[in-house]
Amino acid sequence: MNVGLVQALLSGLLMGFVYSLIALGLSLIYGVMDVVNFAHGEFLMLGMFLAYWFSVLFRLDPLISIFIIIPLLFVVGVGVYKGLIKRILNGTRISQILTTFGLSVFMANMAMFLWTPNYRLAERTLTRATGDLPIFGVHVGIPEVIASLGSIIVFALAYYLIRFTRTGRAIQATSIDSEGARLVGINIDNIYAITFGLGISCVGAAGVLLATFYYIFPYVGTFFSMIAFATVALGGFGSVEGSFVAGILIGIIESLGGFFISPAVKYAIVFMTYMVVIILRPATGLFGW
Amino acid sequence: MRKDERGFIVKRGFILLCVLALVLSLGGTVLADNVIKIGAIYPFTGPMAGTAQMLKNGVLMAVDIINNKHDFDFLFADTEGIPSLNGAKIEVIFADSAGDPKTGMSEAERLITSEGVVALVGCYQSSVTKTASQAAERYGIPFVNGDSSSPQLTERNFKWFFRSDPHDGLYVRQQFEHLVELEKQTGESLRRIGLVYENTETGSNVAKATEELAKEFGFELVEKIAYTTGATNLSSESTRLMASKPDVVMMGAYISDQILFAKTFKTMRFAPKVWHNTGAPGEPDFIDSLKGDANYLFLRQGFCADQVENKPVLVEVLQRFRDKFGHEMMADAVRSFHAPIVLADAINRAGSTEPEAIRQALLETDIPGKYCLSPWEGIKFDPETHQNIYGKYIICQIQEETFYTVFPSAFATRGPVFPFPAWEDR
Amino acid sequence: MPKISRKTVLTVLLYLGIVAITPLCSKAPFYRHVLIMVGLYGLLGVAWNIMGGYTGLYSFGQSAYFGIGAYTSTMLLVKAGVSPWIGMICGGILAAIVAAGVAYPCSRLRGPYFTIASQAVARTFQILMTNWDYVEGAIGIPLPLMADTWWLMQFKGKMPYHIIIFSLLGIAILVCYYIERSRTGYYFRAIRDSEEVASSLGIDTVRQRIIAAMVSAFFTAVAGTFYAQYVLYIDPESVTQHALSIEIVMVAAVGGAGTIWGPVLGAAILMPISQYARALLGGAGRGIDLILYGIIIMLIAVVRPTGILGFFQRKPAIEGEGGDDIGTTITASTGTDDEVRGSAGQS
Repeated sequence: MNVGLVQALLSGLLMGFVYSLIALGLSLIYGVMDVVNFAHGEFLMLGMFLAYWFSVLFRLDPLISIFIIIPLLFVVGVGVYKGLIKRILNGTRISQILTTFGLSVFMANMAMFLWTPNYRLAERTLTRATGDLPIFGVHVGIPEVIASLGSIIVFALAYYLIRFTRTGRAIQATSIDSEGARLVGINIDNIYAITFGLGISCVGAAGVLLATFYYIFPYVGTFFSMIAFATVALGGFGSVEGSFVAGILIGIIESLGGFFISPAVKYAIVFMTYMVVIILRPATGLFGW
Repeated sequence: MRKDERGFIVKRGFILLCVLALVLSLGGTVLADNVIKIGAIYPFTGPMAGTAQMLKNGVLMAVDIINNKHDFDFLFADTEGIPSLNGAKIEVIFADSAGDPKTGMSEAERLITSEGVVALVGCYQSSVTKTASQAAERYGIPFVNGDSSSPQLTERNFKWFFRSDPHDGLYVRQQFEHLVELEKQTGESLRRIGLVYENTETGSNVAKATEELAKEFGFELVEKIAYTTGATNLSSESTRLMASKPDVVMMGAYISDQILFAKTFKTMRFAPKVWHNTGAPGEPDFIDSLKGDANYLFLRQGFCADQVENKPVLVEVLQRFRDKFGHEMMADAVRSFHAPIVLADAINRAGSTEPEAIRQALLETDIPGKYCLSPWEGIKFDPETHQNIYGKYIICQIQEETFYTVFPSAFATRGPVFPFPAWEDR
Repeated sequence: MPKISRKTVLTVLLYLGIVAITPLCSKAPFYRHVLIMVGLYGLLGVAWNIMGGYTGLYSFGQSAYFGIGAYTSTMLLVKAGVSPWIGMICGGILAAIVAAGVAYPCSRLRGPYFTIASQAVARTFQILMTNWDYVEGAIGIPLPLMADTWWLMQFKGKMPYHIIIFSLLGIAILVCYYIERSRTGYYFRAIRDSEEVASSLGIDTVRQRIIAAMVSAFFTAVAGTFYAQYVLYIDPESVTQHALSIEIVMVAAVGGAGTIWGPVLGAAILMPISQYARALLGGAGRGIDLILYGIIIMLIAVVRPTGILGFFQRKPAIEGEGGDDIGTTITASTGTDDEVRGSAGQS
């Protein structure tokens, strides 16, 4: 029983870090631009597919190609912002929902059109980064450990960028008061583009890390976006720290709930936890403002 | 403002035109002479889309054999089209159910009334088959199903519904028979069963049958786990299962989750003596993506490529399939393959495309085993339920990244690898 | 009660006329099926709109109420032989009670927090239904095929279904007219524009939010019963799935949230497009129809942020014709984001 508990706790924790990183992108975009990105899961899928294609076509392990994919997705993010999101920034909330949802339908089915609906796993060339690791008498997968460590690193980088750089301070200023930021000479449009690109890079990075052990197919994003939304709302929309804590919490609740109560209802437990928190702390989540 | 308005008008016109074009083009179905139309509904979009392609190719393979001359011994191989109808060709009209029962129903109605199909095949997911066959029942159109496994489908005693494939209840029974045989061969006890199933129609039916039959065969169900399809993490499921120390894991999963289970089991080094599965590992992507980690799983199949040894005609059909579609003919394609053959045979004997005539001919169907790609004695429908009385599965094991039949012994081409080797010893 | 104007009479006649004439254009059941889907999603959109459009609380969990409607009437019919008409009312009332139970604790939630909470409730509901053996869990319930009667709401043809769904839709629209013109409608819009202001004016916002949620849930459940009787098979995957909740929002948003006819128009546009696109392109199995669908939705959102209804309204109605005044606010007050955000109850 003890072994099972440790196992459930560890795998929940490891997955939790990845959830945090996925949620960060969503939370960031909302916090700064006030747009709920329903296509978030599809960008995760895009990251996973890129990792897959780099591994198959160029024999690059996802852990190497991640250094190419993060900037690549930043560019994609900026492009999507300039081409689409910019046009709806001043629109109603409902038109934003429509747009990002339309984008998610478009992306998932485009992926299916281009890459067929087959299930795939990325090819691993760094064989040392596969296999498993004994910890506390149980075994955890090395890819999972690397994915969670990678998530922490990317998260820390993004955190540093937002909190301690000039651009980051401009992003923060914009998220607090976009009009005021404009008045002090911040180019809001650029900040929005950077934020969107950053958000997409984060979720894409999570996708690449997931691709080291998770199966890849065009509709994979929907599973994760469900978790991501609950995570962001639990941590508080727009809160970076909130995403981090909430991701870990959800990972652990999911795992322990499944282990102690019943796997069939583990997501119900996650949602009910969210409901309790949100009713106790309405309009903020754990850390939101 | 004025410029804006003009822009709106142009865009408005464009969108209206698009809608009009869509509506108009629908009316433009051209009826060719001497063509018999059959409708086929599959989940071409959504998570099952990959399987749907395989099913579609199975149907197209059957149509190719019916419509063209081939130099091997098979039903309709030496003729072009349906002989009794002056060589009328079969044309299949495919429709997308998106895996949704309501859509399956409306697509069935559309195929029957707008496209004028004389019969229907499909729809893979039992929930969709349920509603689509209801539509066929209402319109009095024969529905031959080769690819849905829910026992309830033939318990409804529909007048127009026929099924060539065996159902979940039958296959679980065969699984237990296999376990009993394994016990006899090895002298090891396999009485502790851990059941894992996806929380869907198919999974629940498998679970129900397993629970009932475990009692009948005297096995003990030590753990029963339902999980959510598309779960992002299956470690708590696996941990619970591992903690119950089962001899045998019986799993009713879809390929995506099955891949994740295999990876999770490996990480946790969880190796039950026997790992039994539904057809999911038989999907083409399973071995492709897991490689060596796919080895030693047992799975039920309606067909296995090694059966060429028992059935020479398979060589030709499989080769033809490979040439035509560029990939191997897998079990799902074989399942969907039978339905058009059964229909063509019935239409040929009826000498007519009248629904009632086809139905009567379907009731008298008696296709010999040598014309079934699956290892059956033939196809003959029960007069009440319209279930193929010869339908049964074989049990395969993945060895060296290939499927080998291991049970029943009459079809076996290899002995089973038992027990399931520990992950670290591979 | 408002006076019955000539415009109202004309609208009613026009509605009845369109409903009566459209099914006669073609006998093809698929065409009539598309019309019924327009009615069904129109009803769902109108129901969503009562809460989403007027009070600005975007529910992404309507599927739960749809499921309650479908399961209540079906269980009553299968286990006790109760007519679906009675089941429809029971389901509606049950859904309204559940909605009140959910709305009360959620009454302090705003914007995306409310949206995610509604989703969480619906997802939990789906998981519970999937695991509840009494309602056959994931296996679902096939409705027994019985005689074609109005009492059992089961027909071989499509016309009776057409009449039923458009009558239900008509009733829902009448209720909307009533709400819009009544004090309640005024309260709803006040909440949408700013909950703080509304509450400082002495409006009991919690009470109004609960009323909106109950009315909305009632009609959604009614649509659920209709679905069960129309498709004759229900399972958690088809009647409580999240995709349904999203489709409902799409219908209302595309047509124009906060307007009476917007959701109906949205359904009248989206349903034919998606159904015919699938019929035409779905068989190819490459998802082309959905790619197009995604593009169309994005186009509509970018070109008409307040919904299609604006196509036909040269001048946006000023005296509170629902959601279009959101649009007016935006174009008039270029840039002050706070006003726009106020519409979603976010400050």
